[in-house]
Amino acid sequence: MMAQTIALRVAAVTPLSPTLKAFTFVPAAGGLVPPSGPGAHLRLFLRDGAKLHKNAYSLIANPADRSHLSIIVRRVAASKGGSAFLHEQVGEGDVIEAGLPANLFPVTRTARRHLMVSGGIGVTPFLAYIAAFAAEGTPWQLHHFCRPDEREVFAALLAPYAGGSLHIHCDGTLDGLDAALRRQPLGTHLYTCGPESLMGAVLGQAQALGWPKVRLHSESFGGAVAGGEPFIAVLKRSGIEVAVDAETGLLDAIEAAGVEAPCLCRGGACGQCLIEVADGVPEHRDHFLDAEERASNRFIMTCVSRSRTPRLVLDL
Amino acid sequence: MLISNIKSRPVYERLAIDGAGRRHLVLSDAPRPLGEVIDGTESAGAPLAYWVVAGTSAVDGQPQTGPAGNAAEVETRAFRAAAHLFDRLTHRLGQETVGLRLYAVGEEGFIWEVAKLARAAGLETEECRTAHAGSLRRRVFCVHCKTITEGVTTSLAACAGCGAQLVVRDHFSRSHAAFMGVQADAEAPGDLPPVEELFP
Ligand code: FES
Repeated sequence: MMAQTIALRVAAVTPLSPTLKAFTFVPAAGGLVPPSGPGAHLRLFLRDGAKLHKNAYSLIANPADRSHLSIIVRRVAASKGGSAFLHEQVGEGDVIEAGLPANLFPVTRTARRHLMVSGGIGVTPFLAYIAAFAAEGTPWQLHHFCRPDEREVFAALLAPYAGGSLHIHCDGTLDGLDAALRRQPLGTHLYTCGPESLMGAVLGQAQALGWPKVRLHSESFGGAVAGGEPFIAVLKRSGIEVAVDAETGLLDAIEAAGVEAPCLCRGGACGQCLIEVADGVPEHRDHFLDAEERASNRFIMTCVSRSRTPRLVLDL
Repeated sequence: MLISNIKSRPVYERLAIDGAGRRHLVLSDAPRPLGEVIDGTESAGAPLAYWVVAGTSAVDGQPQTGPAGNAAEVETRAFRAAAHLFDRLTHRLGQETVGLRLYAVGEEGFIWEVAKLARAAGLETEECRTAHAGSLRRRVFCVHCKTITEGVTTSLAACAGCGAQLVVRDHFSRSHAAFMGVQADAEAPGDLPPVEELFP
């Protein structure tokens, strides 16, 4: 089952730092890009020789402007996947196939005010958020956490919105957040995007300060860690065994072996990639399964989760 | 059939302090001991205020602080009337920050007015809990002239706005914080069902 796709032409490639590049796309056939909302992502189908990488990236431009779509891609050090391909082999004028923008991290419409907390490249969905908030006049505040050597890169990206609402922290701690969490007027919603560890800490700190779950929103995508203990995935129906090494995610390994597997967000949020487990114990890293489903060990979200046992037998 | 069997009447449970809150504000539309209104105050572990409608002019609305059970201090305020309490509440919510939990106990008109003010101030339903106490009398919203008639205890009541004889239905509107009232003799003027005391 293939979702509807569009052909996009690369209109601009802008290096931002040694590992970050911004890409701007326009429809290859001309006209307006498909509609999206703040927090939406774009899936790119990257044909790298015989391999097909399917990667999703947050859209960063103001969704109201339908002249183009933009993303920022970090080249992951050990990547053999889509991000390296985009960095090394995609240039202006190239045409790429993409899915229609989808949104798993939408803005809460009833919120009076938005508090955003990002780590590193996790700031990308918030660039679209802020563009939309600035256009509507909705109050917001962003706390961005990054390495000192990337401070300038992110400051430049956020420069159009600089002012009292923008705080960049590089001290390697979340200390700068405590006061902000204690001082938000009623009606504020909190959003966080970045590495798992950062998001977990932010959500934990907010809950400890009395924030109810309905006010808390997180986007794991882009920040999910693929790595862990190596294991063997046994694909029962395909009749093959796939070695998943320490660096590669289960879904990536399955795809690299040439087996079609369902997926959408690739971040453990949407539920599309659910596969039944016939034997073995999954190491759950998703946000989709509930406690009971987790405990049953009957399902796995292949995009982010791994295995606790040396072999994991999947109904695939 | 004039009284329908629509059951949208809200169901209330007994209130309990939400331990995740950083500040608690409990409201009651009549003087009641705090422990009768809500469970868990002894272990609240966070500042707690108790505001009460005293229904007498002999109170000043100033906070009084005193110990409650074991740990937390309770700040108590008595108000002359509900309107006075709602004024202070609006002011307080305007200055509050995320972490507050609001609780209201009383008659339907009171608790739904609190819920409305809370929503207007940006509180989520999870942060504002309500429970019914006292008379079952209803606020009735006339679907014809949109006037709200307070304190209805009978199955049939005259609308305070247009004077129509309204059948008080079980259909509760959260946005009006009132039960719907529909003209009883719309089809055959003057043909009214017997009046019963249903909401003592
Ligand atoms: S692809 Fe969305 S949860 Fe796995």
